[in-house]
Amino acid sequence: MEKQILEIINTVLSNRGKATINEIHSNMKLREDIGFDSLDLAELTVRIEAMFNIDIFEDGNVNTIGEILTKLSKK
Amino acid sequence: MNVLLTGVSKGLGLIILKELLKNNHKVFGISRTKTVELEKLVEQYSEQFVWIEYDLGNYYDIKSQLFKYFKDKPIHAYINNAAIAYDDLITNLNIDSLLKMYNVNVFTPMLITKYVIRNMLLFSTKGSIVHISSISVHTGYKGLAMYASTKGALEAFSKNTAREWGEKGIRSNCVVVGFMETEMTSALNEEIKNRIYQRTTLKKPVDKLSVAKTVLFLISDEASSITGQNVFVDNGTI
Repeated sequence: MEKQILEIINTVLSNRGKATINEIHSNMKLREDIGFDSLDLAELTVRIEAMFNIDIFEDGNVNTIGEILTKLSKK
Repeated sequence: MNVLLTGVSKGLGLIILKELLKNNHKVFGISRTKTVELEKLVEQYSEQFVWIEYDLGNYYDIKSQLFKYFKDKPIHAYINNAAIAYDDLITNLNIDSLLKMYNVNVFTPMLITKYVIRNMLLFSTKGSIVHISSISVHTGYKGLAMYASTKGALEAFSKNTAREWGEKGIRSNCVVVGFMETEMTSALNEEIKNRIYQRTTLKKPVDKLSVAKTVLFLISDEASSITGQNVFVDNGTI
């Protein structure tokens, strides 16, 4: 699952002309560490939903990679 | 181009539908009822026209019922045409009629926009949204305060959609339509209609085909630099 999330994150980053990353960790912050802004987070949500059929922002904000993974594993 | 169009069964929607089909677009057309004319179009354009039965008063099932058609398909344009007109003096305002009109004219289109933009993000589409608005927002007519308020809400929503998503290449515009001869205005008597037409520069009802062609222009690449605008197709209403 982490590999798929990394791929999605890199798709969103490259769509905005931002540098891609090689790995993700649970404690990485989406905004501060990865450099996502609100539009990127919207695209991230849509791409994760298309793959895992879950809207990660539906019930409140998500700030870290770990929080995304927890939401997806709860499904 | 894959186009999502609401209110295809009659009036302006039917004319926009025919223009889109004639111009080789693939149309996903929504209405509550399937008229004989729609059945003929489905037959004639079987590869191009998908008719979807949906009541736009229902904003709960938009994702499951409407967007199931677009899980693996990009939407290039969304044309919000469907609307209901509840007209009366403000002193007679009925809250149930008002809520029903807001559901169809404002809340459901906002939710459809939500899923349209999500679809455009997923497929990285530089798509276009067009809302059909009304000249009543800008001039004001007796009895149309409630109706005009729904269209004013759409104009504000469209402008802000354009600002919010412009960076992703998504455009949003309104076509502000003057009075046309449609079922929606058929309830008005001749005297009122003539008075309304006298308030235009061209002194006649707005040509529906002229409106439809403007909509088609706005969703085309030729309009790639036009966003956040209200385009008036109103015979020069004064």
